[in-house]
Amino acid sequence: MAEYNLPPKTTVSWQKRIKAVFIALAVVALYLWTFLGIDIEWGRAIERISENFGVVIPKLFNPDWAVTREVTAKIMETIFIAFAGTLMASILAVPLGFLAAKNMTHPVIALIGKWLLSANRSFPELILAILFVAAIGPNAFAGVLAIAIHSTGMLGKLYSEVLESIDMQVVEAMEANGANKIQILFHGVLPQVIPEFLSYAIYRFEIDIRASSVLGIVGAGGIGTMIIFASMNRNWNEMGLILLAIIIVVTIIDTLSAKIRQKIV
Amino acid sequence: MSKQNSQPQASKAPSIYPAKLKTQVAMIFLAILAFYLFSMFWTQNQMTGGFNNALSNMKQVAEKFFPPNTSVVSNVWGPLSQTIQMAVIATTVAAVLTVPLALLSARNITTSKSLYLSVRTFMNVLRTIPDLVLAVVFVGLFGVGVFPGILALIVFSLGILAKLISETIEAVDMNPLEAMRASGGNTLQVIFYGLVPQVLPQFTSFVLYVFEINIRASVVLGLVGAGGIGLILDRELQFYNYPNAMAIIIVIFFVVITIEYISSKIREALV
Amino acid sequence: MIEFKNISLVYPNGTEGLKNINVTIKDGEFVVIVGLSGAGKSTFIRSINRLVTPTSGELYVDGENILTYRKNDLRQLRTKIGMIFQNYNLVNRSNVLKNVLAGRLGHTNTLRSILNLYPKDDVALAYESLERVNIADKIYNRADELSGGQQQRVSIARALTQKPSYILADEPVASLDPPTSHQVMTYLRKINKEDRITTLVNLHFIDMAMEYADRIIGMRAGEIVFDGPVSEVSEKTFEEIYGRSIREDDLLEGADKS
Repeated sequence: MAEYNLPPKTTVSWQKRIKAVFIALAVVALYLWTFLGIDIEWGRAIERISENFGVVIPKLFNPDWAVTREVTAKIMETIFIAFAGTLMASILAVPLGFLAAKNMTHPVIALIGKWLLSANRSFPELILAILFVAAIGPNAFAGVLAIAIHSTGMLGKLYSEVLESIDMQVVEAMEANGANKIQILFHGVLPQVIPEFLSYAIYRFEIDIRASSVLGIVGAGGIGTMIIFASMNRNWNEMGLILLAIIIVVTIIDTLSAKIRQKIV
Repeated sequence: MSKQNSQPQASKAPSIYPAKLKTQVAMIFLAILAFYLFSMFWTQNQMTGGFNNALSNMKQVAEKFFPPNTSVVSNVWGPLSQTIQMAVIATTVAAVLTVPLALLSARNITTSKSLYLSVRTFMNVLRTIPDLVLAVVFVGLFGVGVFPGILALIVFSLGILAKLISETIEAVDMNPLEAMRASGGNTLQVIFYGLVPQVLPQFTSFVLYVFEINIRASVVLGLVGAGGIGLILDRELQFYNYPNAMAIIIVIFFVVITIEYISSKIREALV
Repeated sequence: MIEFKNISLVYPNGTEGLKNINVTIKDGEFVVIVGLSGAGKSTFIRSINRLVTPTSGELYVDGENILTYRKNDLRQLRTKIGMIFQNYNLVNRSNVLKNVLAGRLGHTNTLRSILNLYPKDDVALAYESLERVNIADKIYNRADELSGGQQQRVSIARALTQKPSYILADEPVASLDPPTSHQVMTYLRKINKEDRITTLVNLHFIDMAMEYADRIIGMRAGEIVFDGPVSEVSEKTFEEIYGRSIREDDLLEGADKS
């Protein structure tokens, strides 16, 4: 095998090359900007961790059982906030989902609906919570409203995607049968989408449990209230119990939710 | 859930759904409703003045927040870039660390069941802790600054990313990998030649998705002292400077929307 | 030379894959293994490159007992055995050239292969292999853009690029239509004759086996029930191997007609 032929070179179009170079430059620029711009105060971080590590970590793993009752009450409140918020959102999102689905309304309305939902989603729960705390005072209901509004944006988008993926032939067949719009909605559309709507709503509950456990940081109720006090008082034993409670509750709810969702779909 | 809506023939026509299902659904519905009402009662009972009072309050608050004070916007860019930079660093580090973790928590790659299960369990526990709670703990450990914020974002996004990617890995076509093993490739070669090309597009897409999540999360990290724009927002709120706070919120809103838009466009192009 | 000595294989779930196999394959032979699905053909072939490991007996390849091989020895063994699969086993998203170069993995150090830095000779070899199976014009196409027959030819090229002494083909034409099947078998046969690469092919079509094989091995329930040159094979032989009378779908042409 003395002589080989090398394969011909690939011919990549100019446009593709320019695009690749452009993307590479953009990524490099992003990283340059990031690493030149940010000042991670390593020295201070290292100094603090060397002081704190031996103090904080053992305390975290040695929870203060004396506050069990308080933590339980607050974690229940967290669940209430998440539940009320998710339920409100899962209902509010239905009409919005229909509005934003291309195959259910006029395309222009659908586009506007999508924009509204997207705008809605872009407010982090915590920012919404700040607004509601300012409006109705530092209480759990402010948290409920924050969760409800943010989740409505998320669920509305998912619902509209579910609606856009349904089998329209069924709808067509019912139209041919002479069914009116409302009948088609109840017999042709809803049976197709309800399992997925439910599944998404339950999944949203999983996310909202996590979200509602930090709302207390801005005064909107739940276990977050205790988190912020424990950290201000540097009461790491109490923080240990709070973390443990969050881990347990979230794990249980995740597992239950996964089981239920499996059953539904 | 398909059903035949046939004409009722006689009085003995069967109901569309079995009776047992009907009662079951009714019971679940009632339980949910009851729990909801109780939740509403509980969360509202600390509210002074009740619901109606709150509604009129809202109007006052709207007046408090508006018009936003646009003069603070020029002070916002510094902390805002810090926020984005934190998200970039955290996403990058998480993307790198994810690779070994995702491989270890993919059933088809990690054949040792105990290793796979322990990595999985660890990741599951990690994912239960919200980002902001991690930030509170890290601020306690490392002091106020961007470092605990970045660390919180890394740990949080690592949990999500490793799960998504290990699931992608579990869904790949294992046949080419067998072929590579048959031709004498070692484990690393088999992974790079058989696995990487199959998961790379999804990997990139998930990393961008996590970047979006990190951007949104990093915006609020400052509220607990972990750097970024949230710090300024927190200060304005403490001094009840609502018009300033509103201006900052609006800026955050537009930046988040823009970044998400770009990222989602790239993701669409990838898959 | 490949030598099976009292080879048996019991799967962890208790199924007996191979029962006391004794057989010798001489260099340069073109052997077709026939039998019903589940007869142990696949297990037989996969023992040779240790994709499965027999539980007892001795298996010699080029005079060495490969059952004692670990890691590095095993890699060495596999580099000299090319394998062709029923489902082609190409990486769909990678291009043809990259798929074929994967055949060099065992010869290339890990870092080089990860960075895609193959020696020029390897690239040339890959290209030559593709030319030999007449698919060189597709080198930069993604594997999933090709038809089944084309993909199988790419996988033959991948095996060739290994410069193997042996080629194992596990039902290479089971997913292909009759004309393409003949094309693939013709290439395998041609390579066997030109390069004197010992070739073992699993087939379940009788007429194909008769047309291409030098020697036929019949398997049933993990045992070898026939072993001899094609000239000794008659319809009766197949009836013995299959344990029933021959049907139309045992023939490629028959399967096509139905």
